[in-house]
Amino acid sequence: MGTPKASLAWHGLPLLGRIARLLARSVSGPVVVVRALDQALPALPRDVAVVEDAREDRGPLEGIAAGLRALPAGTRLAYVSSTDVPFLHPAFVRRVIAGAAPGIDVAVARTNGRTHPLAAAYCTSVLPTIEEQLAADLLRPAALFERVATRFLDEDDLLADPEVGLHDPRLDSVRNLNRASEYASAVAEPSPPVTVEVFGALRAAGASSPVAVRAATLGAAAAASGLALDEHVVAALNGDQISRDPAVPLVAGDRVSFMSADAGG
Amino acid sequence: MAAPPGYFGRALAVDLSEGESEPLHLPETMLRHFLGGCGLGTELLRQQAPAGVDPLAPEAPLAFVFSPLVGTPLTTSAKFAVVAKSPLSSLLNDALCSSHFAIAGKLTGNDAIIIRGSCQRPSIVVIDPDGVRIESAEQLWGLPATQAEQRLRARLGKSYRVCAIGPAGERLVRYATLSHDGRHAGRGGHGAVLGAKNLKAIAVAAHKKVATADPTAVLASAHELRQRSFGPATEKYRELGTLANLLAFNAISTLPTRNFQSATFDEARRLAAEEISELRAVTRNSCASCSIGCEHIYAVHSGESAQTARVEYENVFALGPLCGVSEADAVLEASRRCDDLGLDTISTGGTVAFAMECVERGLLAEGWLRFGDRDALLRAIDEIGSRTGLGELLAEGSRRAAIEIGQGSIAFAPQVKGLELPGYEPRALQAMALGLAVNPRGADHNRSGAYEADLSGEHDRLVGGREHVRAAIRTEDRAAVMDSLILCKFLRGVFADPYAEWAGLLGHVTGWDVDADELEQTARRIVLAKRLYNEREGWTRADDWLPERFLSDELEVASGRAASLPEGRLRAMIDEYYALRGLDERGLPSPGTLTAVGLDTASGFGEGIRVAHDRAARLDNEAPRPEPHPETVGIRSQRWPSPSQGKRKPSR
Repeated sequence: MGTPKASLAWHGLPLLGRIARLLARSVSGPVVVVRALDQALPALPRDVAVVEDAREDRGPLEGIAAGLRALPAGTRLAYVSSTDVPFLHPAFVRRVIAGAAPGIDVAVARTNGRTHPLAAAYCTSVLPTIEEQLAADLLRPAALFERVATRFLDEDDLLADPEVGLHDPRLDSVRNLNRASEYASAVAEPSPPVTVEVFGALRAAGASSPVAVRAATLGAAAAASGLALDEHVVAALNGDQISRDPAVPLVAGDRVSFMSADAGG
Repeated sequence: MAAPPGYFGRALAVDLSEGESEPLHLPETMLRHFLGGCGLGTELLRQQAPAGVDPLAPEAPLAFVFSPLVGTPLTTSAKFAVVAKSPLSSLLNDALCSSHFAIAGKLTGNDAIIIRGSCQRPSIVVIDPDGVRIESAEQLWGLPATQAEQRLRARLGKSYRVCAIGPAGERLVRYATLSHDGRHAGRGGHGAVLGAKNLKAIAVAAHKKVATADPTAVLASAHELRQRSFGPATEKYRELGTLANLLAFNAISTLPTRNFQSATFDEARRLAAEEISELRAVTRNSCASCSIGCEHIYAVHSGESAQTARVEYENVFALGPLCGVSEADAVLEASRRCDDLGLDTISTGGTVAFAMECVERGLLAEGWLRFGDRDALLRAIDEIGSRTGLGELLAEGSRRAAIEIGQGSIAFAPQVKGLELPGYEPRALQAMALGLAVNPRGADHNRSGAYEADLSGEHDRLVGGREHVRAAIRTEDRAAVMDSLILCKFLRGVFADPYAEWAGLLGHVTGWDVDADELEQTARRIVLAKRLYNEREGWTRADDWLPERFLSDELEVASGRAASLPEGRLRAMIDEYYALRGLDERGLPSPGTLTAVGLDTASGFGEGIRVAHDRAARLDNEAPRPEPHPETVGIRSQRWPSPSQGKRKPSR
């Protein structure tokens, strides 16, 4: 495709930036990016940790091992994603994580009979097993799945989650981009449908609220509402966290509330 | 010694019992250390109030405190602080109020007016070019403050500015307000303090001038600040007023509802400024010397006569969602009645909502008092204002009511240190949770604006930690300076480099070579001085805490995430707060901390203010002695008889 996948833009944001921020929205712990040795990366949020593969060109298990090693002590579970999945939805991530119930070492998505080792939740306890495989040059994830307690989450399992069924019914969360045509097709897709509310003096006279818009980022949602995120304007995402960061990625079903940054009363 | 520009260097102490007044010299070191407003008021209270005094006892002083910026053309500077020991918390209470009284009060030639003692009959105090006198308030007693103010100005003249209490203050409701021009020094029960003194009002007429060190620079700053005040930082206040918070807070689960049992109100839209302002907004007002104009006046459709009510987020939240009432007319009428009676709307709503929950739980027998019942809300307000029926209990505030009711109800009494919580849900705003817990005044959003940190996007507002503590301290410090200079905090967003800019303004007025570092130290000094006063009055670390409800009950925000504040997290934040403030584990400043902020004797702290008899005598000769007003029962003097005394008392 002429450009490293991590830096490919999708609706205004490099793929890696989008995925890192989406994962930050989806999990309670830190986000770790694993890169190839000396690989250049697009800008990332300051709280994202970056580590490197121990050895090059050894496939996904090498990266998974590097990522698991970088997690804080006491971490039980990590969701592992590739960078080329612009349609990843937090509800999908949460569903996969929920699949790694006690007694399960790995929960991995499987669609159309294809297993997605980079759309899976790994218990940190499997790290020694992975390291044994790497030492023995057993680089296929399938080999790991045979050695540890693995739960394969098929379409029915994934879509049983109401949020996944509602916002990702085609399971586009695992739609990755390996060819230029796939990237072009993804770029041609419209931004996700989101709901925007504008409160207080920010709401233009006569304007209705809430309204449905299409926006892939907070900045795009603001622009669609005639606003700019600055020292006077903040946004709440799904009634939860407050942000001024225009790069916060949005997904289908999100609700964005723009309000005055001054909450004095 | 001449006072620095911006000051008169004196306070006027009026003793109602003794029928005398005396000017007090305020040393420049004290003025520079505490500035004015809340800061200077704290130090004056420390010096003037007997330790352990009952807030409603005659000897408990109440001080109207002005500031160096009052009387300058700087926008929003026409404010004054009222400082006394609170009848609700029995700790320090500093409430701000605005407008012409600030200017006229200062231009009586005083940086503060301290009232102590009590009258045996309803009275007023008049301070004008003729001096100080006391007059009968028999014909004003029972009137709303606004009516008393109008009648007094009709009697004395339009040049007089009046601060008065309403019927609730006369009846010693512990959260009665003191008001001027419809604006209230609302929190903590100053109205009851004046009511206990049988003092309906204080009327002041300007007759002095105060110099500034660099009038040209002051004027230029005023012009520039005024231009900035028209910008986006104050747009919210101009366009919809603070009620613009309501729908936004509802969207982020921060709108306290049904006595903090929920943080969202299904019918919030019916009370939202966005929805009803076009239909109801009658006009917009400004305080004196203010270019923002935050005050929005709404029409009240209640009864036959046309009524209006001043609308703020806090009164609508407290009398609406907190009590489960969604009818705009009922909430506006409730707010109007609180204004007429002179009741703090936050404490009124908080106490009524608490009682509603007690009824819901079967702890009170007044079955008529139900969440969501508009008539019950209005009846409760009337009973509080008249101290009849259940109002006798509720007039004491939610903490005292809970102690009386017992049965564990203190766990859900919405108060800290006795002061009811404002409309910021602490579980969903955890920097604010800390601010509410450690605030010397009690649960208050004006001395701690820690919600700014929660809503900044810098931290996870649902998981308080070290960064939240640091942010909370920053907002406390900024508020300490703004409330002492005094500048309206609605202006705070226009300052890019606040301490440096405030130091510049203060320097132009006073001539002091003050800089940002000095003002930051002043902020810390004022915050600690409040703690020292409270410690003297019996405060302990246990008072820096939140009601059990907030620590045991989870809320769910719209995303599905739980908003909980475990006891250990709050304790850790308080520990961190104490450490960063230089306080020990008891919450008291170490000797080193006191020295660092100049609160040790070596820095001149504790230097007593002295009676400036020489200056007073000279002032007495400046104006001709007037004919007594027909209703005047005392005459201008350093001493005068109060209405109850009938004759002059001998000098002490």
